[in-house]
Amino acid sequence: MSAPQRALLIAARELFAERAHPDGLAAALTFTGMLVLLESLAFGPGRAREPDVASGVFWIAILFAAMLMTQRSFDRELEDDAIDAVIALPGGRDALFAGKAFALGLLMVIVGVAGGALSIFLLDLEIALPGHLAFVVLLGLVALAPVIVVNNVVALRVRARVAVVPILSFPMLVPQLIAASQGSAAALAGDAAVALSWGALLAAFAFVYAVLGLTIVPAAIE
Amino acid sequence: MIETTASPFPQLRLRPWLGIVATALSLLAMWMGLVWAPTDAVQGDVYRVIYVHVPTAWLAYLAFVVVFLASIGWLWSRRPWFDALAVASAEIGVLFTGLFIVAGSIWAKPTWGVWWTWDPRLVTTAVMFVMYVGYLLLRGLSTDFERRATRAAVVGVIAVVDIPIVHLSVLWMNSVHQLPTVARIGAGPALDASMGLTLGVSVLAFTFVYVALLVERIDIERHRQARVLETRR
Repeated sequence: MSAPQRALLIAARELFAERAHPDGLAAALTFTGMLVLLESLAFGPGRAREPDVASGVFWIAILFAAMLMTQRSFDRELEDDAIDAVIALPGGRDALFAGKAFALGLLMVIVGVAGGALSIFLLDLEIALPGHLAFVVLLGLVALAPVIVVNNVVALRVRARVAVVPILSFPMLVPQLIAASQGSAAALAGDAAVALSWGALLAAFAFVYAVLGLTIVPAAIE
Repeated sequence: MIETTASPFPQLRLRPWLGIVATALSLLAMWMGLVWAPTDAVQGDVYRVIYVHVPTAWLAYLAFVVVFLASIGWLWSRRPWFDALAVASAEIGVLFTGLFIVAGSIWAKPTWGVWWTWDPRLVTTAVMFVMYVGYLLLRGLSTDFERRATRAAVVGVIAVVDIPIVHLSVLWMNSVHQLPTVARIGAGPALDASMGLTLGVSVLAFTFVYVALLVERIDIERHRQARVLETRR
């Protein structure tokens, strides 16, 4: 079995586990929905519709949702020692990062689409460039996954993992958060060039962290 | 299995001199910065903070690049010396990043009118500071030596991505922070020659302080590693 096939196998296993017990996805969707609802209360209906505010809150919700879902995924692995079996398999160590990141990316697309649709519906958002918005959102979701998975792997058996992973991940994700928020706001407001440039930056971050993760995670798994 | 904490590099007998040279250069830099360098035509004497602010910024970058290189060294060779280098450099880097932010804040009050503003350079620097505090926190939560070193090394490699972001944030985003004065892409330093010389001496003095602290801290860490290895046997 080749390395991409092994990674796809891990991703499929992750998706099946989530389908059987969708507690991670349910928590992420509920959290995103709650934050969108709270947004109009916190900022007022007028300000909540502004592109900068709407996109900023959306991406903060996505960031926390991704954190919740990834931690739940690794909790599940640790609860029944399943991760030890994966690591013991030939090539399992290498496939773990890619498979987990790929599965998280796919699941976050579901959360992103649901959260985005809820934002558009509840806040009555006007989207000037829907294609650009979809492009930025997709790249933003892809750019979050590698960093969060790497930090979960690093802190896998650390006693305060629930606290350590966000402490490590949030500072590393600030550039992605800025790029995704600014790019989404530009797409909502109709500035195509700005949206594309932030999208390109997100793609660069996704690539850099994916390469770093693939290179060093196998050495870091305990 | 780790058997030695020895350095992979030949030992130089410069250690006693490092502190002396660092002190002498620091005194010279202080005199040049406070007395010899001319007053700025626009900012007056306030600008002299640059002789602390820029060297601490340089050291913050240098320290975290060293953490990155040492982390690769550990992941590559599993020699504890590299882990000692990484932790030593990270601690000094956090110290100097803190000083970098404080010096910048002292300079910001008379020039911008505020101690802090949500500017890309300031925010990315604060993010870098938090990132390496997280690095040290992760180290503190791990008890097993090899696991701790490996976990920290992975974070040390990933976190280095923030350094170019901090430096280039003033070019990428609208910023109230001035553009790079010394390390300018495709241009020379935008400074008077005497100010540039003073800044150069300050940077050199701070670099020697960094190296002197680094050597002492590595030594402490290697003694700690030797004790850990001893208890294992």
